[in-house]
Amino acid sequence: MLRMWRVGLLSALALAAVPAHAFIAYVSNEKSNTVSVIDTDSWTVTKTIKVGQRPRGIDFTRDGKFVMVAVGDDDTIQVIDAKTQAIVDSLPSGPDPELFAQDAAGKILYVANENDNTVTVIDLEKRARLGDIQVGVEPEGMTISPDGKTLINTSETTNMAHFIDTSSRQIVANVLVDARPRFAEFKHDSSELWVSSEIGGTVSIIDPKKHEVTGKVTFEIPGLRKEAIQPVGIGMTRDDKTAFVALGPANRVAVVDVASRKVTKYLLVGQRVWHMAFTPDEKYLLTTNGVSNDVSVIDVAAQKVIKTIQVGELPWGITIAP
Amino acid sequence: MMSRIVVMAALALALSGTAARAADPRYPDWPCTQAKVPVISLAAVWAGPALDDAETKWKDDAKVSALVAKLSARKTPLDEAEKSVKDFLAGSTDKTANAKLLFAGLFDTLNAQRSQVMSGLERVSRKQREAADKIREETLALQALQGATPRDEAKVEALSNELIWKTRIFEDRHKVVRFVCEVPTTIDQRLFALGRVIQQEME
Repeated sequence: MLRMWRVGLLSALALAAVPAHAFIAYVSNEKSNTVSVIDTDSWTVTKTIKVGQRPRGIDFTRDGKFVMVAVGDDDTIQVIDAKTQAIVDSLPSGPDPELFAQDAAGKILYVANENDNTVTVIDLEKRARLGDIQVGVEPEGMTISPDGKTLINTSETTNMAHFIDTSSRQIVANVLVDARPRFAEFKHDSSELWVSSEIGGTVSIIDPKKHEVTGKVTFEIPGLRKEAIQPVGIGMTRDDKTAFVALGPANRVAVVDVASRKVTKYLLVGQRVWHMAFTPDEKYLLTTNGVSNDVSVIDVAAQKVIKTIQVGELPWGITIAP
Repeated sequence: MMSRIVVMAALALALSGTAARAADPRYPDWPCTQAKVPVISLAAVWAGPALDDAETKWKDDAKVSALVAKLSARKTPLDEAEKSVKDFLAGSTDKTANAKLLFAGLFDTLNAQRSQVMSGLERVSRKQREAADKIREETLALQALQGATPRDEAKVEALSNELIWKTRIFEDRHKVVRFVCEVPTTIDQRLFALGRVIQQEME
């Protein structure tokens, strides 16, 4: 009897300690030089952390213990301890780091340095620089194939997606896409690579084996000029059925049916929507809105915006604890 | 004294140089680093139902007009404005019709307010260019006076003083312009935020 009671008490405690959807999101605010911490249970900002200058790319380490944030104007990547929410270290990037990607194991970090046309390779355990890869002019988007063998880097000026072999660190292919490629995302089954072009106003779909563009997603919003539609961030559900594309100053996120490559819905979020992140249960998608200085919460199943959270000035990137 | 004037005049010219090199060739008088977006398009801020005749009718509704005036004023804090929108729509019988009227009014008024601010900025930018030309001319005149023999000290002094004043006014205006350049964005933010609340209340 006593034992049963004890078990009951323990499970009650366990439940109390882990509320249903309590995830933690970190948002980099490019203009106010801060990172906002959002609790996804209360949908409020629980802390604002002062970081270096011009924070943009932001990501949790795979173990969820640290948050890395690229502070471009300070030429480094700062490391925030997720427990104490304080900056504890920095990583040796090149000049003006903007965005980075880590391999599946979370051991190696690849950093796009906007100013010197290189990608810096960093050992995350030792927090030491392993080397540099020479890439196209103004490297921007970064992603790694699910098998970890290919690193994709997009170049803002040459309008290419570079395919880099992660073992030899050599460029093995260049694929031309539309003007100013910004962001790259693989389908989870590796069969396609999606690359957004901010000025071209499209998302190119690339066959990663043949290195060929096999199709394009186009966007049209009645009453909006084409220049206002600037695709940037891309998020894809784990089942690879639905993609969400942030359209910048169109203030909307496009919902795309991956199979047909057609937009099924546009959701009005905030002004200059830029990047996005799913909660680990994929119930919600959070977007950063740079001009309205807020984060929109999209109910993924309902495809509806359910909440807006004010953060710092010019929110740019977002990451959610695994 | 002389060197200070030359420095200030040089500064003024450098500033006018930046103003003259507009980022967007379509708008040579636009003095701001922020891109000029002449009007906010409806689709950028509104995903609700078509406004139809609400676009003209909002002015005939006294309650809506008064509320639009209050919500559009920059002195009304945004959170207070958002609350007023909610209160107004919660208490109205035909929510959709009133929401459309209110948004049509805000869209009209804030777009007009924005245009006014932007044409004001361009007017000041033209004036600044004229002032820079004048400062350039007078700097040359002053240099000539200073080099003349015999030197007319009274004239040199008078022209120096004038140049100092003109340069100071130029610099002050330049600072104000930079500040005012933020205003169109502030108006965009207000229109979007209020539009979003109206659309949420309609659902």
